[in-house]
Amino acid sequence: MKELIEYIAASLVDDPTQVRVRQEWVGGKARLELWVAKEDMGRIIGKSGRVANAMRVLLRVAAAREGKQATLDVMEPR
Amino acid sequence: MSHEKTTLEIIAPTVEEAVAKGLNQLGLREEEVEVEVLDAGSRGFLGLGSRQARIRLWIKEKESVQTAPLENEKKRPAKIERKPALSTNPTQPTEGTLDRDEKFVLATAEQITGELLQKMHLKARLKASMLPPQDENDQPTVMVEVQGEDLSILIGRRSETLNALQYITSLILSKEVGHWVPLIIDVQGYRARRERQLRVLARRSAEQVVHTGRKITLEPMPANERRVIHLELRDHPEVTTESVGEEPNRKVTIFLKKHHS
Repeated sequence: MKELIEYIAASLVDDPTQVRVRQEWVGGKARLELWVAKEDMGRIIGKSGRVANAMRVLLRVAAAREGKQATLDVMEPR
Repeated sequence: MSHEKTTLEIIAPTVEEAVAKGLNQLGLREEEVEVEVLDAGSRGFLGLGSRQARIRLWIKEKESVQTAPLENEKKRPAKIERKPALSTNPTQPTEGTLDRDEKFVLATAEQITGELLQKMHLKARLKASMLPPQDENDQPTVMVEVQGEDLSILIGRRSETLNALQYITSLILSKEVGHWVPLIIDVQGYRARRERQLRVLARRSAEQVVHTGRKITLEPMPANERRVIHLELRDHPEVTTESVGEEPNRKVTIFLKKHHS
C-alpha cells in the first residue's frame, strides 16, 4: 500500500526527494499520510481533488488484495 | 501466429461505403473478408434521424494477407482487432510504422501500468498499442490492454477503478514523456463491451421516451460513458440528451425535443 502511494506520488511531483509516506494502523485500518513539497501539492491533489481521489481508489484495491482497509490523507507541507 | 480472429469495425453512411472503407484500410479484397452487418443504419426522413451503418469485417485467412502493414507488424502482435473503447469512430491499431517516440511512449505506458498493477498486488499481462487519430484534429491514442484472471476488481463499480488507473497512468506517462498523451486502459475487452451495451441502452431508452413521452434519467455514469449516450442519440430526430447532477452522480437524461410549430 505504502509502495503504491510512494510510486504514484514520486512519479507525479517535480521534487521526488520531498515525497514521504507514513503508514499507521488505527483500529485495524491502515492510515496513510502523504507529504510532498509545497510546490507539488497541486499535482498531488488535482482539480477538485481528482488526483488524490484516484489514488484513494487504487489504494483501496491494493488494501483489499491484502484483506485490509486503508485511507489516504494528503498532509499540509511542513 | 495468433489464432484469434482478426476483425475491424467500420462506421459509414451506408453498408457499401463501410465495406469499401474497411477493405481500403486493411488493404484487402472483398473475397478475403467476411462482412457482418452490425447496424444497417437508416436514411432517416428528410435528412432527419439518419443513422450510420456499422459493420464488422472478419479477415478469413490471416496468413494469405500480403500487405505492407502486416510485414511491419512482425514485432508487434499481429492482431488488428478493433478496440473502440468508448469512441464512436472506427479505429484500428496503427499499422507497422511506429516512430521512435511512439515506441518509447508505448514501452513507458506499459511499464507504468505494470508497476501500478504490481503494487496493487494484481497479476496481469499487458499489451500496449497505438490507436490512430479519429479525426484530423486528434492525435494517436495509447491503448493498454490488460489480460488476466479475476480482474473484475480492476474494473470496479461503474468502472471507477479502471478509470482511476487510466487517469493516474496517463498523468505519469505525460510527465515522463514530456507531453500530453491520450491513453486508454482496457481490461479483457471491457470498454468495447460496455460501449456496445451503452449504445443499446441509449437506443432503447430513446424508444421508450418517444413511446411514453416521459423523460428518462439513466444511472449515474462516468464522463466517458455519458459521452457514448450523448453521441449515440446526437442525431436522433425526436429526443435530446443532457447530463444533470454533480460528479460522481452525474446522470444522462433523455427527453423529447421541443417541436417548433
